[in-house]
Amino acid sequence: MKEIVVISGKGGTGKTSITASFAYLARSVAVIADCDVDAADLHLILKPTIKRKENFYSSFEAKIDPVACIGCGKCERVCRFDAISSENRIFTVNPLNCEGCGYCEKVCPVDAIKMTQKLDGEWYISESRYVTPLVHAKLGIGTENSGKLVALVKNVAKQLAQKSNKDIVLVDGSPGIGCPVISSLSGAHFVVFVTEPSVSGIHDLKRVYELAAKFNISAGLIINKSDLNHEKTNDLISFAEQNNILFLGQIPYNENFTQAMIKGLSIVEFSDDEISKTIRQMWTKIVNFVEN
Amino acid sequence: MKIAFTSKGNDLDAQVDARFGRCPFIVILNTDDKSFEVIDNQSSADEAHGAGPKTAQKLSEYDCNVLITGNGPGGNAATLLEKLNIDIYIGAGDMLIDDALNAFNSNSLKKF
Repeated sequence: MKEIVVISGKGGTGKTSITASFAYLARSVAVIADCDVDAADLHLILKPTIKRKENFYSSFEAKIDPVACIGCGKCERVCRFDAISSENRIFTVNPLNCEGCGYCEKVCPVDAIKMTQKLDGEWYISESRYVTPLVHAKLGIGTENSGKLVALVKNVAKQLAQKSNKDIVLVDGSPGIGCPVISSLSGAHFVVFVTEPSVSGIHDLKRVYELAAKFNISAGLIINKSDLNHEKTNDLISFAEQNNILFLGQIPYNENFTQAMIKGLSIVEFSDDEISKTIRQMWTKIVNFVEN
Repeated sequence: MKIAFTSKGNDLDAQVDARFGRCPFIVILNTDDKSFEVIDNQSSADEAHGAGPKTAQKLSEYDCNVLITGNGPGGNAATLLEKLNIDIYIGAGDMLIDDALNAFNSNSLKKF
């Protein structure tokens, strides 16, 4: 079983649109995992039917027991996030400000503060419109994606793949280069970079490439909207060559991306033109590389 | 010499887990007398962030010379391991520990 992660560094490069097309092309052999949980939107195209739903607890929040509290105010003084306030020596925690660091719990002389686990969201095992299993999650407002959630989503997807004899786990990776991305990449067999020829696109690609290179994961590059800046597209192609990144191809700016999205379809389902052919060829290249 | 393996299981017959921070176990082999110790790291699944540095901290108590894993630690954990003078070798993800050890002995693992 091979784990293929699609990642972009910068947002808005078309990563999820391309992942949805790959999901369609791999529909009979893959389990899909959406690890871009901060702003998950793969489900808009895959239209999953939820089969199993679980609560996800991750962050902590301070709770003050008003009976035990002696009103000394130590907690309010140490809180860096101004999450504790008092009225007539009654101390309360503002959950929106509390970062869950636990400093107040540590300094409370009468153990009146307890850190309680917060319900951050839900995760799901679903059946996508292609019948392919999809593991995904939804976070509440003000909560954040974490390495923990990404690892959970990926592990569930891998177990599903093993159980149902699927060859591929296709992961829509998280943005950036932080904890969730480290967790997205860790254990992957191949990483697909989707970028665009813009200053920020190239900058963020190089950052996430460094991480993947450090992890010794084979990589491929897709340049989307490649005709926005031909010079930068050529720079990206040479960057791929110099760094032993498999160049998977380029896609010129195309309205199909938007039109397919409006219809709730992946691009390869939406039309059978050049763009779709290019995406199909990219997926074939990836599969051939991973299998050899 | 003590070699630590990030592991999917809790003995020497297990497979190497490609992850560092969130590997469920670390199996530590003492190559001098072939004895081994196990760190239970399953609680790492509960860490929202910073699983890598916490796993490195646990490892710090075992005086290891070498760590063998799949992809390698993230930046923060790598800094800590470097301070502990642990040499890291990667590319052993999904290998059996025994095979990973042979690969290490024949210099076919990549230095992180």
